[in-house]
Amino acid sequence: MSTIKLDPVTRLEGHLKVEVTLDANNAVASATVAGMLFRDFENMLLNRPPRDAAFLTQRICGVCPVPQAVASSKAVEKIKGFKPNLQGLMLRNLIQGANFLDSGITHFYHLSLLDYIQGPQMSPWTGGYTQDLRFNATDTQTLTNHYLSALQIRRKANEMAAIFSGKLPHAANIVPGGVTALPSATEITNFRNYLNDIQSFISSTYQSDVNMLASAYSDYYNVGTGYGNLLTFGVFDTNTSGSLLFPAGTVINGTVGAFSEANIKEYNKYSYYSSPSGQAPASGTTTASYGKSGAYTWLKSPRYNDTPFEAGPLARVWVSGDYRNGVSVMDRHMARYVEMSKLVSNMQTWLDQLTPGASGFTNIGDPVSGSASGLTEAPRGAIGHWLSVSSSKISKYQIITPTCWNASPMDDAGNPGPVEKALIGTQVADPAQPVELLRIVHSFDPCTGCSVHVMSPDGVEMSKFVVQPLGK
Amino acid sequence: MRINRRDFLKWSVAAVAALKLEMDMDKLNTVMAAETDPPVIWLLGSGCSGCSISTLNVTNPTTIEDVLQNKISMKYDSTLMAASGESAMQALENAANQYNGQFILVIEGAIPGGASKNNCIIGEQNGVPLTMYDAVLKYGPKAKYVVAAGTCASFGGVAAAAPNSTGCVTVKSLLSGKTANPVVNLAGCPVNATVMVQTLLDLILTGVPSLDSYSRPTKYFNRTVHSVCPRRETEEVSQPGKYGCYEEIGCKGPGNLSPCPSLKWNNKQGWCIQSNYPCIGCTSPAFPLNPVISVSSGD
Repeated sequence: MSTIKLDPVTRLEGHLKVEVTLDANNAVASATVAGMLFRDFENMLLNRPPRDAAFLTQRICGVCPVPQAVASSKAVEKIKGFKPNLQGLMLRNLIQGANFLDSGITHFYHLSLLDYIQGPQMSPWTGGYTQDLRFNATDTQTLTNHYLSALQIRRKANEMAAIFSGKLPHAANIVPGGVTALPSATEITNFRNYLNDIQSFISSTYQSDVNMLASAYSDYYNVGTGYGNLLTFGVFDTNTSGSLLFPAGTVINGTVGAFSEANIKEYNKYSYYSSPSGQAPASGTTTASYGKSGAYTWLKSPRYNDTPFEAGPLARVWVSGDYRNGVSVMDRHMARYVEMSKLVSNMQTWLDQLTPGASGFTNIGDPVSGSASGLTEAPRGAIGHWLSVSSSKISKYQIITPTCWNASPMDDAGNPGPVEKALIGTQVADPAQPVELLRIVHSFDPCTGCSVHVMSPDGVEMSKFVVQPLGK
Repeated sequence: MRINRRDFLKWSVAAVAALKLEMDMDKLNTVMAAETDPPVIWLLGSGCSGCSISTLNVTNPTTIEDVLQNKISMKYDSTLMAASGESAMQALENAANQYNGQFILVIEGAIPGGASKNNCIIGEQNGVPLTMYDAVLKYGPKAKYVVAAGTCASFGGVAAAAPNSTGCVTVKSLLSGKTANPVVNLAGCPVNATVMVQTLLDLILTGVPSLDSYSRPTKYFNRTVHSVCPRRETEEVSQPGKYGCYEEIGCKGPGNLSPCPSLKWNNKQGWCIQSNYPCIGCTSPAFPLNPVISVSSGD
C-alpha cells in the first residue's frame, strides 16, 4: 500500500493536511484530514462582555467573518429575547449575502479552477499538477481571463458590503441589537449598482463557466460522493417572523427531514482531547491531550443523530428544493452557482425593503445571565455559537463551524468525517499528481482557520499541536 | 539570481509547447516582466487570512491583477498558488534559495512559540513538519525585507489575546537582530490594502520607509483617528447607531494612530465610524482590549 501526503493543501483558508493510503489499484483505501492550526478562541472569549464576541469571533476567519458576527449576535439577542427589526434583518442579509457572493466567486475561480486548468505561466500560478487537464487552449484562455476578471468581482462584493458594514474583512457594526448603519438613499443606489454588476457576472460568465466545467468533467458527478447526508441550520430572514430563504433541515438518501438542534453531539476519540466524548455543544468540555493514542487531529467530530453530515451550499439548496441532483464534487459546484443565483436576485428584493435613514439597531445592552445558541450559515455551511453568560460576562462559549462538520476526523464509532469519506474509493490516475484528491477537498471549500475546534472554557491549556499520520 | 530574458523566453516556449497551449508573445512579455520583478514570499501563521483577503481587495495604488501580473512575483502564497503539498513546499525553499537576500518576506498572523510551536504547521519539507516558528527563523534572515502584515503579526493582536495559551509572539520579537533591514509593521485588523501594497512598492522602489517607535510607517501612522475624524466637531452621542462623535462612549479614535479616516476601506466605500460604530483601535499594539471597547450599555 502506498501513501500520498498533501501538506499543505493550498488554495483554502488556513492550514490543512490530507493523507491517504492507496490500494493495489491506486484507489483510496483510507484517508485522514487534519487542521494544522490551533488558536484557542473559546478561551479568549471568557470573562469578556458578550458584545465582544461578535468582534472577536469574526477574526476566526477573514474569508467569512460576517456569519460569525451574525451567529454571535443572534446568541446574545436570544438570551435577551430580542429580534432585530426588519431594517436590521435586511441589512444583515445584504452584508451576509455580499460575503456569500464574494466567498462563492473566490471559491470557484481562485481556489478551485486551478485544479482543472493551467493558469498563467508565472508565479503563483505555475507548479500545479498537469494531470487530466481537459480544456483546449481557447477554453483555457477564456477561463484564465475569467479568473482575472473574477478578482474584480469578488473585490466588488466586498466593496458592496462595506457600504453598510464599514469594512470587510471584519465588519464594523454587526452587533447584538442589529446593524448600526443608517443607509442613505445614495448608499442604497450605490449598493444596487454593485449588485447589478455582480448579478450580471453570475448570470453570464459564472453560469457559463460552471456549466463548461460540469460538461468537461461530468464524471465528477460520481466522484467524492461521500455519505450523501446533508445538514443546514438555515439562513437569511425574509421577514420578522422567522421565515428563511434557505430553511433549516437535513437530507438523508435524498429525503428532506426536520432539523433539531438537540440532535447535535461532538465526539473526540480521534482528536487530541481527553474530555468526555459525545457531549452536546452547550455542555461539552475540552481537555487537551496531545499525543493521545490513535488521535490525529485537533478537530472534534460533530455528529447529528450520531451520523456524519455534510454542510454547505448543497445542503441549503437541497433542503430549499432549488437543486436536487446528487451529492458529488460537481454537484457541490453546481449547487453553489444555483444558490448564488437565487441569493443575488433576493438581495435585490431585500434592498427594496430598506428604508432610507431608518435605524436597524436597538441598544439592547449586555445580558446579565442566561444561555442560548446562535445558528446561521457561512458560505461553506452550518455555523453555531453556544453562549453562556454569568454576571454580565461570558462564562462559556462553544463554536462549531462548517469545516468542523466537513473535515472532522472519525467519530467514536469509527465513521470517517465527510471529506475523509468522500476521498475513500477515489481512483488516483497518477499518484505523483493526485489532482483528484485536491478536486474533492476543494469542492467542500474548507476553511481551517475556523475548523480547528477551539477549546472550551474550562481553561485547560493545549500546549502542543501535532501532525501524526494515521498508522496503517 | 535572475534568469535573463532569452533563457526565460526559451523556457516559456518549451513550457507552452509541452502544455499544447497557444503561443502569445504579448503575454510572454508580460510574464517576462513579472518573473523578473522582485520576488515575494507570503507565509500565513496564526491568523485568519483576513490580511490576504484585504490585500486582494486593493484598488489604490493599483489592483491585485496588476500587482500579481506586473509588479511583483509572488513565489509562495498558500491561498493563491497552484502548487500544493510537496511541490508547494519546494517552491518556497527554491525561491528562498534562488533569491537569497533579495526577496520580500510577508508574514501574516502571529507565531505560536515556546511549547506551542507545533500549534501552527505550514507544511512538510522532506517528510518533516515545518512549524511557522521555524519557518520564520529559517526564511526571515534570508529576506531583504520582512513585512508583518496586520496586527497579529505586528503586535500579537487577536491571535495573542489573553490568556494567549498558544504562546503567540510577534515577527519583530522572533527576528530581533536577525534581519538585514528593520521589520516593517503594517498594523490593522486586517491590514489596509493600500498600506500593504504601497509599502511593498515603496520597499522595492526606495527601501525601508520612515518608521515610528512601533515600526509602523510614519507615512500612514502619524495621526490619530480622532484628529482627522470628519465627525470631530459633531455632537457627542450616547450610543452606537446614531450619527455623531463617539468620544464619550469609549471610541478608541483619540488614542489610535491609523490612516482609516483618509484611506477608508474597500475602495473608499466605508470605514468603521462611517457605519456608526466607534473605532475599536485595531491598529494599536494593545488591540484587543478587554472589553474590546467600553461602549456604555445604553440609555
